Amino acid sequence: MALTTQRVDVPVIVDESKCLEKCTACIEVCPLDVLVKNPETGKAYMKYDECWFCLPCEKECPTNAITVQIPFLLR
Amino acid sequence: MSYSDIDPEVVQWVEMLRSPDLSDRLVAAKALQHLGDEDAIEGLIAVLNDESPMVQEIAVTALWEMANPVAITPLLGCLDSSHSEAVRNEALSALKELVSPDDLLKLLDTIQIDDENMQLNVLVLLRKIHDAQALPYILPFFESENPLLREASVVTLRYLNQVVRCEPALALAKDPNDEVRRSAILTLGHLSDEAVTPILCDVIAQDSDWQVRRNAAQSLDLLAAKAAAPALTQALADDHWQVRKFVARALQKVATDEAIPSLVKALSDEYSDVRRDAAIALGNIGNPDVLPALQQTLDDPDRDVQIFSQRAIQKIQDQMAETSHA
Repeated sequence: MALTTQRVDVPVIVDESKCLEKCTACIEVCPLDVLVKNPETGKAYMKYDECWFCLPCEKECPTNAITVQIPFLLR
Repeated sequence: MSYSDIDPEVVQWVEMLRSPDLSDRLVAAKALQHLGDEDAIEGLIAVLNDESPMVQEIAVTALWEMANPVAITPLLGCLDSSHSEAVRNEALSALKELVSPDDLLKLLDTIQIDDENMQLNVLVLLRKIHDAQALPYILPFFESENPLLREASVVTLRYLNQVVRCEPALALAKDPNDEVRRSAILTLGHLSDEAVTPILCDVIAQDSDWQVRRNAAQSLDLLAAKAAAPALTQALADDHWQVRKFVARALQKVATDEAIPSLVKALSDEYSDVRRDAAIALGNIGNPDVLPALQQTLDDPDRDVQIFSQRAIQKIQDQMAETSHA
């Protein structure tokens, strides 16, 4: 059975295979401070679902590991 | 400057830029971008030739944000074919903001390097400087085998101040490539050579590409040459509405009574933009014979057409009143 490795019910999705452990670019640019590092894996994830969909996290990620899923009605 | 004068945090990241581990270099470049400390410029310039295009791209972005003119020459080096397309595009965007007229000679030296991507990007940068000194360096590209270079050079010509004649550009109106012809025709509208109007009239009647014909109408609109009126009047029957629209617009400046039958016909065009521009052109001609035709368009389904028809009618009536008073 295939297991999911990411939470997909939040708008900011981090591809853990691309996320760099030492990098904190997305966390620094998030205006709502909702992104944090998972202390066990060193990968970023969205801790609080309060996204403004402002997109700097997606833009600043050096490895393009972040995808922000903008709700249909906001597009 | 020795490391002792520099913020230790910057030193740590600059040293990490030399790490053999790609992820370390990525993190260091990103951190230096966020710090924006000018002491990191040298380190960032060094990684413009990093083996990873991702590191190169972050370094370009960081140097762009710091906006220090020291970075201009190294960034110009990123425009060649040895760098990835993403890096070239980022460097071009950065240089578009950083270059100033003082960098003209640097750009003219760079454009002579035998690398098509470099030449293409420098042609774009020369548009920011507007200096006619660049003309002799642009002309050879009109005969390039690469259509992208021919197009970029003829667009750059449009941006050069004080250039009013350029015979080699006229030949590009017959270029085999559609994109080149589209750009060349728009550029011709900015020249004040007597040979331009006949060429544009020829193109608007005969070119197979509708966008070229549309651009010819736009250029004739800019030139406002009375000699173009017969060709424009004929082009009002073009198959493409975009061509008809810009032809009607060009006729607003040059139309005479001969254009009236075609313009009146255009008042019932399928597209409202054409109807509106035809109404304006008829108003500018000022012949009272067109009043009944204009009055019929007052109940046009498009509000814009109604407004401009009303204005055209008013204009003609004002002129009639003035002449009767005189």
